[in-house]
Amino acid sequence: MVAQLQHQRSIPIDSTRDVLGESLTIEPGQIAGLSGIPGSGLTRVGLSLLAPYASAGHVAYLDVRGWVNPAAAWEMGIAPERLIVVRTDDIVSWSRIVATLMSGMKGVYAEVPTGVRDVVLRKLAAKARTTRTPLVLRPLNGSVPSGVAHLRLDARTITWEGAETGHGQLTRRRALLDASGKSTRGMQRMIEVEDDGTNDLRVVPGVGAEEIRRFA
Amino acid sequence: MWYPAWALRRSDVSHDTPAQAVAEDGRVVARNQLAARAGVENGMRRRAAEAVCPTVVTIVQDLTAEMVRFEPVIDAVEALVPRVEVVRPGLMLIPIAGAVTYYGGESALVERVDKELRAFGTDHRIGLGLGPFAAQQSARLTTDDRPIHIVDDDARFLATMDVAALDSDDLAATFRWLGITTLGAIAELPRDAVISRFGRRGMYAHDVALGLDRRVDPRDIPEDPRIESHFDPPINDIEGAAFVARNMAQRLIGSLSSHGVAPHRVIVTARAADGSRRSRTWRSSDPFNDRTLAERIRWQLRAWVDGVSAGIRGGLEVLILEPADLSGQGRQMVLEEDAKSYEETQRALMEVQAIAGMDNLLVARPQGGRDPSQRVLWERWGDEPSQPDHDLQAPWPGGIPSPAPALVPPEAVRFEVSFVDGIPEQVRLRSRWVPVLSWAGPWRSVGRWWDGETSADRYQIVTSAGAYLCEVREGSTYLLGVYD
Repeated sequence: MVAQLQHQRSIPIDSTRDVLGESLTIEPGQIAGLSGIPGSGLTRVGLSLLAPYASAGHVAYLDVRGWVNPAAAWEMGIAPERLIVVRTDDIVSWSRIVATLMSGMKGVYAEVPTGVRDVVLRKLAAKARTTRTPLVLRPLNGSVPSGVAHLRLDARTITWEGAETGHGQLTRRRALLDASGKSTRGMQRMIEVEDDGTNDLRVVPGVGAEEIRRFA
Repeated sequence: MWYPAWALRRSDVSHDTPAQAVAEDGRVVARNQLAARAGVENGMRRRAAEAVCPTVVTIVQDLTAEMVRFEPVIDAVEALVPRVEVVRPGLMLIPIAGAVTYYGGESALVERVDKELRAFGTDHRIGLGLGPFAAQQSARLTTDDRPIHIVDDDARFLATMDVAALDSDDLAATFRWLGITTLGAIAELPRDAVISRFGRRGMYAHDVALGLDRRVDPRDIPEDPRIESHFDPPINDIEGAAFVARNMAQRLIGSLSSHGVAPHRVIVTARAADGSRRSRTWRSSDPFNDRTLAERIRWQLRAWVDGVSAGIRGGLEVLILEPADLSGQGRQMVLEEDAKSYEETQRALMEVQAIAGMDNLLVARPQGGRDPSQRVLWERWGDEPSQPDHDLQAPWPGGIPSPAPALVPPEAVRFEVSFVDGIPEQVRLRSRWVPVLSWAGPWRSVGRWWDGETSADRYQIVTSAGAYLCEVREGSTYLLGVYD
C-alpha cells in the first residue's frame, strides 16, 4: 500500500522514459548544459552522456582546469584509446578548439571557461546541430544561457553511501538533479541518478521524478 | 647504388682503427675493412663482435643523421636520373629504363653515375639487375677493386642464385630440405603451389626468382589516394613536422588499408613557405605501415632541413604523401572501424594540436599505482606508446578503492580540514566551512621512506557539497581528488 501511494505521488519512470529514458542520454546534435559546483557529481554525469558514442569513435574532453581524471571516464564505459583530452585555458582559442573537435569527434565534453560570451555558445550549439555531434557544456561559473541546451541539468544535492565514521569506503552516490529543456518537453523535472562507479548512471525509477512546473 | 658502410661515414670514426656500427637491437649493421679483417661480420651481436676484435670502436646507428648525410648523394644522382627511390640511408634504387637510351647504354650510364659519386668518396657500389632484388644482389657481388657489377643475363643470374639470397634462414632451409637449392628451381615451381605451401613469403620468393619483385598486385585502388595537408601558419620546427608526418602516415595507411592495399613506394613532397618544392621517393620491399612510413618522412624532413641544400625556407606549408606500387598486402581493418570517420578524427585532432599545442592534446592509459594520479599514464596524442611506470597487474595494496575521483589536481593542493581529536569535523570550501557528514580512513601510506618520501594519512570525506579525497602529511592537509 505504501509503495502504491509513493508511486502515485511521483511521476512513474515509464512516463518519462521517452524523454529521459532509464539512463540519461542525449541524441546526436543535441547539447547538454551542466551546472553545479565541483563535487556535485556532474563530471561523471557528463561523461556518461558521451559514453555511448565512444563505441563508435573518439570522444573528446576539453579540460580547462587541467583536473580531469580519465579513470572516471573509463569507469563510465569510455575505452582509454577512445578518449582524447585537450587541455587549454586560453579563452581566445577555446571556441575554435571546440568547433574543430566537433568536426571530427563522435562526442565532445567541454568545460566552459569564465568569460565566454553567450553568442559564442549559441554558435557552437548551431555547429553541434549541423555536425550532429553531441555536446556537453560545463560552465565553470554560472550556467549555460537559455535556449542553448536541449537538456539542462542543475545539481541540487548529492548523497554518498559507504563511508561511515572512519570505516567503510565510498561505494555509491545518489545525485538529485533538476532537468529542464527541450528534452524534457519544456517541463522542469527533478530526477535522481545513482552511480556505483562501475556502471552507467541510472535514473532511479519512481523516486523524485516529480514535475515541478511547466515553462511558459 | 649501395654504400656498404654508410653508417660509419661519420667524422668521429677513424679509418685507422677497426670500427663497427650497431643497430638498436645490438647487431652489427656495418663495419670497416679493419674490423672485417679481424672477423667482425654484419649481423653479429655487439658483444660477439667485440670479442673477436677487442679494439673495435662501436657506434650506435643514427638513421636520421645518416639520412641527412645521404641527401646530397641522392640529389647528385637525381640530377642524372630522375625519380630515384630511397630504400634506406646508404641504399637507393635507380630506375634506368628511360635513362639508358639518353646516356647511350647501360655501361655509359653506370660510368656516369659512378663518376658523379666519386665526389663523395670511393666506397660506393653499383649493381645493375632486373628489379630491385636482382640489383641489390648484383651490388653485393661487387668488391673494392670492382665496385660495379652489371648483370648480363638476368634470367641466368637469378636462376643460379642460391636460396640463401632470400635472407630468410628457415625458408632457405625448408627449400633445401625439399631439394630446391637455387632461385631458378623455385621459379619453375607452380606459383599457386608455392603460395599454398609458404604463404606470403613463398609468393615473394617466387616473384624475386622470376625478377618480378617490382610487380604490384592492383586491387580496388582509390581514385586519388594521396594525402595532402596545408599548414597555416607554416610549421617551423622539425618536431612539429614529425608529428604531422606521423598523423599523415596513419591517415594514408588507414585510408589505403580500407581498400585492402598498402604502398611499397611513397613520394614525399614538401612545399616551403617561399614556394619552393622538394620531392623524394621512398621504397620498401615490404609494404609500408604507418610507423615505417612516418619514420622515413621524418628522416626526409630532417635531411631537407639540416642538409647542406637550401632546406625548407620559411617553414613547411604543404606536405603531400603520394602512394604508388600498391599491393594487396594491406592490413585488414577491424569490423567496426570506419575509414571516413577515422580520417575526419585524425584531421580534427591535427588541427586541434596546431591550435592548442602538441603538449596539450593527450591520451591516457591505465597503469598501476596507489593514488589516482599514479594510475594514469598521460601521453601526447601521436606519440609512440611508452612503457608504463607502474605495473597494472601488480596488487598495489593500500591503493585508493574505486570509484575514482573524477577530478584530480595535477599537483596536490592545500585543503583546509579542521580535525577534532583526529576526527575531521569541517571542511573549508571557498569562504565557508561545511560540516563533514561521514568519512572513511585514515588509510596510512608509508611510502619509500628510504627515498625521503614522508608518510601520509588518506581520507575520503563526505560533505553536503560533495566528497573529497585528501591526505594529511606533515601536519597539513592536501586535496588529492574530487568525486565529481
